[in-house]
Amino acid sequence: MLAVTRLSLIQNSLHKCGILGTVQVCHLSEATHNVTPYKLHRLDQGPNTTVTYTREDALKYYKQMRMIRVMETTAGNLYKSKIIRGFCHLYSGQEAIAVGMEAAITPEDSVITAYRAHGWTYVRGVSVHAVLAELTGRKTGCANGKGGSMHMYTKNFYGGNGIVGAQVPLGAGIAFAHKYRQEDNICISLYGDGAANQGQLFEAFNIAKLWNLPCIFVCENNGFGMGTSAARASACTDYYTRGDYVPGLWVDGMDVLGVKEATRFAKDYVLKNGPILIEAFTYRYHGHSMSDPGTSYRTREEVQEVRQTRDPIGKFKDVIVNSGLVTNAEIKKIEDDVKKEVGDAAELAKTDPELPLEELYSHIYMNPPQDMKVRGCDDTVFASTK
Amino acid sequence: MATTVRKFCNRFSVCKVSFSRLTNFRTDGITLRCNLKNRQFQSSAAILATIKLDMPSLSPTMEKGNIIKWHKKEGDTVSPGDALCDIETDKAIISMDTEETGILAKIIAPDNTKDVSVGSLIALLVEEGEDWKNIQIPADVAPKASISAPQAQQTLAPPPSAPAVSSGHIPVEHGHLIGPSVKKLLQEYNITSSSIKPSGPGGALLKGDVLNYIESKSLNKVTQQAASPVKPEAPAKSAQPKASEKSTPVPGAKFVDIPLTNMRRVIAKRLTESKTTIPHAYASIDSNMGPLTQLRKTLLDDGVKISVNDFIIKAAAFALQRVPKVNAIWANDGPRLSSSVDISVAVATPNGLITPIVKGASYLSVDQIGSTVKELSGRAREGKLLPHEYQGGSFSISNLGMFGITEFSAVINPPQLAILAVGSSRHEASIKGNQLKMNVTLSYDSRAVNEVEATRFLEEFRNVIENPQTMLSGTNLDSAAEAFVF
Repeated sequence: MLAVTRLSLIQNSLHKCGILGTVQVCHLSEATHNVTPYKLHRLDQGPNTTVTYTREDALKYYKQMRMIRVMETTAGNLYKSKIIRGFCHLYSGQEAIAVGMEAAITPEDSVITAYRAHGWTYVRGVSVHAVLAELTGRKTGCANGKGGSMHMYTKNFYGGNGIVGAQVPLGAGIAFAHKYRQEDNICISLYGDGAANQGQLFEAFNIAKLWNLPCIFVCENNGFGMGTSAARASACTDYYTRGDYVPGLWVDGMDVLGVKEATRFAKDYVLKNGPILIEAFTYRYHGHSMSDPGTSYRTREEVQEVRQTRDPIGKFKDVIVNSGLVTNAEIKKIEDDVKKEVGDAAELAKTDPELPLEELYSHIYMNPPQDMKVRGCDDTVFASTK
Repeated sequence: MATTVRKFCNRFSVCKVSFSRLTNFRTDGITLRCNLKNRQFQSSAAILATIKLDMPSLSPTMEKGNIIKWHKKEGDTVSPGDALCDIETDKAIISMDTEETGILAKIIAPDNTKDVSVGSLIALLVEEGEDWKNIQIPADVAPKASISAPQAQQTLAPPPSAPAVSSGHIPVEHGHLIGPSVKKLLQEYNITSSSIKPSGPGGALLKGDVLNYIESKSLNKVTQQAASPVKPEAPAKSAQPKASEKSTPVPGAKFVDIPLTNMRRVIAKRLTESKTTIPHAYASIDSNMGPLTQLRKTLLDDGVKISVNDFIIKAAAFALQRVPKVNAIWANDGPRLSSSVDISVAVATPNGLITPIVKGASYLSVDQIGSTVKELSGRAREGKLLPHEYQGGSFSISNLGMFGITEFSAVINPPQLAILAVGSSRHEASIKGNQLKMNVTLSYDSRAVNEVEATRFLEEFRNVIENPQTMLSGTNLDSAAEAFVF
């Protein structure tokens, strides 16, 4: 289960450092990492199992994953203080997928996901403040506080979608747009192991393969569709094979470097050959949503074991510290910075203003006529829209 | 929202306390020790290093929770995913997890603490390596734990981050607490607290200070319309909305208080009494309105205009005569049959529903009923009904059909035993072709009226409505018959 990490120093780095024993006091610039072997479906060749990464990569990925973790913890606490209301699905445990995939694509590539969207929103460029303020329903939120947990968007990030599985056909459509405009860009469409049994996914796979759309379908398999384990819901839990004629690959979704390499490979592949399916094997620490304590269908020991043996952040920290690229002091500094940034963002998210009531009626139609009015909840209210 | 504000205030007061007037601050028997010199350092350091654990809301409806048992004890190391304690919410016992890493330094709410409000501090964590035994308890623990949510909302409603709130509300710019009586005085005379020199301990503003100030400036009370209680008055006379009842939003508050008129108060009391003491049961029936519509058309051609409502009252009067057990009131310990059919008809007025009574409805012809209702409801809307014109009655009818309601159920008007809720006529496809149907729902007191009687009443009602000629021809005959019986 654990990715076997082998310290393998690059020659020229060694030269820079001088003696191997002084690894802790000097900064290496690159290191390599061995990824848990991928599983392939209808692919002759898979991604590289040995990946090289730089010190900057290491610091960036660690900071991003840490940021998502602390942001989600903060969101959970705000929810339990009744400051965030309504829907709220936390990404803790799955951080390596968003961070690793984002690292392999460009801002011009598109992403669409389901309702576990906070982490993705952040890596796509929205500030922690705008994510938390969205959750608390403030004007400064990335959707002006109108969307909340499931409906966050930014450029080339098509959201947060509330309907289970419905984002997958939309993702195929976005990929079609890229192809139609003859852009060298791809679309990542994410869904969970629960949504993997939806009929509309297979319709999307079909048309995507038929037209060879540049779409990476990603099944984030966290083991549970709400409170039902994958094995109890799916006749075949090898989600990377479920596209049948669509090639697939399995990657350890707790390994940010593995995810990045798999995504790099997949992007390359889909631009040439049409769609591919990635199953990223991961775990979620929280319940499905805030109304699920997450302990009635799995044992507390199981969750703790994953936290100790597979945690994407803890494991990555070990990898980068052991490789000598990053020191423990730097890790500590990142953790403090992240804590402060999220803490400040949370304070703002609590005190920022809410939208005025009239805004209820805006953003319904694109460019509505000047004097257009829309109906409120009952037919006594007619308000102008803009 | 309230929690946000409260937390913010607490943070605010922590800062105040730790840097200015710590010496005289005491909480729950824990005196904050240490001298001024190292206090600033120590308190700020301890507070920075401390992670506060508040009572979480573990269900959407949870307001308070009970701490059942702590799984960790003071001094234990805590890591993400650990269960700290079991909390009993309004629905279940759920264990509280943490995402923090550190040492459980202080348990504020121990095992078996009852009714801990959501958001109150229950424990403190320090980071690993900190001296957990030397933890300082934040000064805001006591007020936070005991304060109840509505109180907090009232006293702390204007968010401190917002700029000073406009007139009518005292700006809270002083660094000390103000007692409720002092606050009331300030509000009554519209004085800002900063304009008075405080003489109490630690710069506290005393009631005496305010009284002296008022006397010295010979100030008068500022009248506040929203706060003045509405004088009790007879319900019949309160039909017109008064100027004082206009709701005035309190500046900065997120709510509008609407003062209760006497009539509203009576309605609220009686409806609550009705719904809580009378076991309501309901039965509905559809009637074919075709013949009645036809009859009204014929009458209209002859120049006689009678509304559907008048026919409904008449039909109900017929049915009540035939099923007298429904035409009764609950008197102390049992039903009392009424000697005449007095039908209360619900009329909407600006101040609420009022029910003028069509007395002896079974003796009246349909057009007499029509003119009586018209006259009574006109005066009801002007608030000019006399008590005997709306008190009493043996049965009620509420008709929302004219407003497009297809069906609804009404609350029994005590001490009566039943009320008929009338819906609108609607077209319905049937084997006999397109039919005009009307739904009526009888709410009845199941202590006194049983299903069979309710059903019989509705059947009789339907029979009359579907054979409307009876209502025109039968009137005199019935009144004669009734006169004979009673």
